[in-house]
Amino acid sequence: MTKFSRKQVLAGGASLVAAAPLAKAVWPDAAQADESATHLGHNHPALGHAAMVHDHVPAPGGPNALDHLLEPPASLPHKPGRLREYEVVAIDRRIEVAQGVFFEAWTYNGSVPGPVIRATEDDLLRVNFVNHGSHPHTIHFHGIHPANMDGVFEVVAPGDSFTYEFTAKPAGMQLYHCHATPLKKHIHKGLYGAFIVDPKEPRPPAQELVMVMNGYDTDGDGENNFYTVNGKAFYYARYPIPVRRSQTVRIYLANLTEFDLINSFHLHGEFFRYYPTGTGDQFEYTDTVVQTQGQRGIIEIDFTHTGLFMFHAHQSEFAELGWMGFFDVRD
Amino acid sequence: MDGVLRRPGLTAGRLWPLVPLVLLVGIVAVFASTGGSLTGLIGDNPPPADEFEIRRVELHPGEIHIRVTNPQRDDLTIASVTVDDAIVPFDVDGPRTLPRLRSSEIVVQYEWVDGEPLSVGVTSSSGIQTVEEIAAATATPEPSARSALGYGLIGVLVGIVPIALGLLWLPSLRRAAPQWLAAFMALTAGLLTFLAVEALSEALELQAALPSALGGAGLVLLGVALSYLTLTAISARFGSRSGAGGAGISGLALATLVAIGIGLHNLGEGLAIGSSFALGELALGTFFVVGFMIHNVTEGLGIAAPIAEGRSVSLGRLAALTAVAGAPAILGAWLGGFVTSDFLGVLFFAAAAGAAFQVVVEVTRYVARRAPGGISSPHVLGGFLAGIAVMYVTGLLVA
Repeated sequence: MTKFSRKQVLAGGASLVAAAPLAKAVWPDAAQADESATHLGHNHPALGHAAMVHDHVPAPGGPNALDHLLEPPASLPHKPGRLREYEVVAIDRRIEVAQGVFFEAWTYNGSVPGPVIRATEDDLLRVNFVNHGSHPHTIHFHGIHPANMDGVFEVVAPGDSFTYEFTAKPAGMQLYHCHATPLKKHIHKGLYGAFIVDPKEPRPPAQELVMVMNGYDTDGDGENNFYTVNGKAFYYARYPIPVRRSQTVRIYLANLTEFDLINSFHLHGEFFRYYPTGTGDQFEYTDTVVQTQGQRGIIEIDFTHTGLFMFHAHQSEFAELGWMGFFDVRD
Repeated sequence: MDGVLRRPGLTAGRLWPLVPLVLLVGIVAVFASTGGSLTGLIGDNPPPADEFEIRRVELHPGEIHIRVTNPQRDDLTIASVTVDDAIVPFDVDGPRTLPRLRSSEIVVQYEWVDGEPLSVGVTSSSGIQTVEEIAAATATPEPSARSALGYGLIGVLVGIVPIALGLLWLPSLRRAAPQWLAAFMALTAGLLTFLAVEALSEALELQAALPSALGGAGLVLLGVALSYLTLTAISARFGSRSGAGGAGISGLALATLVAIGIGLHNLGEGLAIGSSFALGELALGTFFVVGFMIHNVTEGLGIAAPIAEGRSVSLGRLAALTAVAGAPAILGAWLGGFVTSDFLGVLFFAAAAGAAFQVVVEVTRYVARRAPGGISSPHVLGGFLAGIAVMYVTGLLVA
């Protein structure tokens, strides 16, 4: 505390008699108002992470930590009856969801979201599921399949396993998630992933990316504390995704955010074609799409300009809680 | 001759009080070294809450300072900071991983909006978020001569001024009939009872927010007992000084006790007002200060009542009584404005409650001795009730 003299105190006592200076003295912040105005132009702009890029942004994981989730397995030409086999293991795992913040997740193969499963239409998809978690789980695929392959009644107890086998269809961006109850808990804990079914006629060549939008309620109050794509807050702000201007960028986008009604994807400085669920040729030419939980689609971007272009949820709150990244467009 | 005293039986007898202590140390040592196995028998320990305690949020131009403490048994790490539900970059002045009861200050560059609500959140590495809501953002006064003057004036306005005004009723009280004087004395007892209950509830409320390692109702009880017993000793001294054994204490002595009781209450009140200003909770109106002034005018009346009969009291004495009762509000406002500690708040309010209860006892004895018709006369009962009612009604102004 600054020292003050007896004289100053007495002077203050005198001003008590006069009404006008009183208000100013009793409300010290009013007296400081002009002082704070000069601070508005100070040299350290108070930017949030949602306006930062590269190393200024705190994000967990190393430079290539999410490659296996961002880049889908290669597509294969149409060949009815071909076997596509995947191993999926449910594991309880503590994962870093934002820098320094750890979440007790339930995962498929140790990551949230789980691995990208890909097949071509009419492939025979076989998923060998082993539950090494502490709770009963299932895998429920979106798509067309027999009732006993739906992952609803065939609950797999801890230590047990189950093999899902069905013909992959229809072509499009599908997804999978656990359907054990309580459903909300099993999904927000992290049991979900992208499931791509390629059409008979291959899609045109493109740089293909997978983005699964999600959230984490780390303190269990039924509201998400962090939002991400592919599981780590601000990851693509710290490590922008390199893409080429000459090549189409195709994003398989899905929303698996629990607790919030919708999530969205917005791209800066460019428009894109959006194919809902990726099942047809109809598209919308836009820069913003909205998906409810479980909704998905395919985005195709042909960049006009090079440079850093931001993408994020157009719910500002989600963007500022981690769902924000950049494309680094180069020639 | 030492030999005579050191008969074996006597020595053993003298050392016997140490035996329980030695055994206690031994048992504690055994338990501490094998404590884990005991927990194992009962079941696993529940996981820690991993929650920070936000002690203080200061707003400076373009900056937010958040003081956090680790109230947990285990270390806690500051992982993420949010302002209005947005993750923000931050620096930590002090360790980022805090051992038990250690504090650090988080500094966030942020252009907050004056007068608007603000929420500040600190998330530990296990993802548990603690949020502090600020009703209306306003710059935290820097400790300066200017702000010290501001807080001092708040203290003067809510402490000294109303009590001085209340004492102006003294000449009127001197003309009052004895049964009416008794009624005003009872009113004093009523208002002090109100203050005691109010301070006690304030202390209990504040202690509930303290980390359990510091707080507990025991702290409140300690404060209450300490001040109650101190005032008991002081009033006993007054009683013995006034000579005439059994005649009890004089009116002036009683007024002094009332002033001490009220002063302790105003210390807590000043602390609460000062810290509310500092934390931006009171940016919503001068109404609050006005309310406290009206509320506290009755306190002056309470001091005036015991000195209304007998010898007249010098102006210097009256000024001293006013200072004893009102000046602590200034000290409290300073402490609240610049230090802000819930721990001090608990102690002050507990002390205020204890003092007020003790003075109620003294005033009741005094009234029982002096009042025409005794303690159950309609004037006394009505006065007591009126004291509580007046404090309640004027208290609504600051609710």
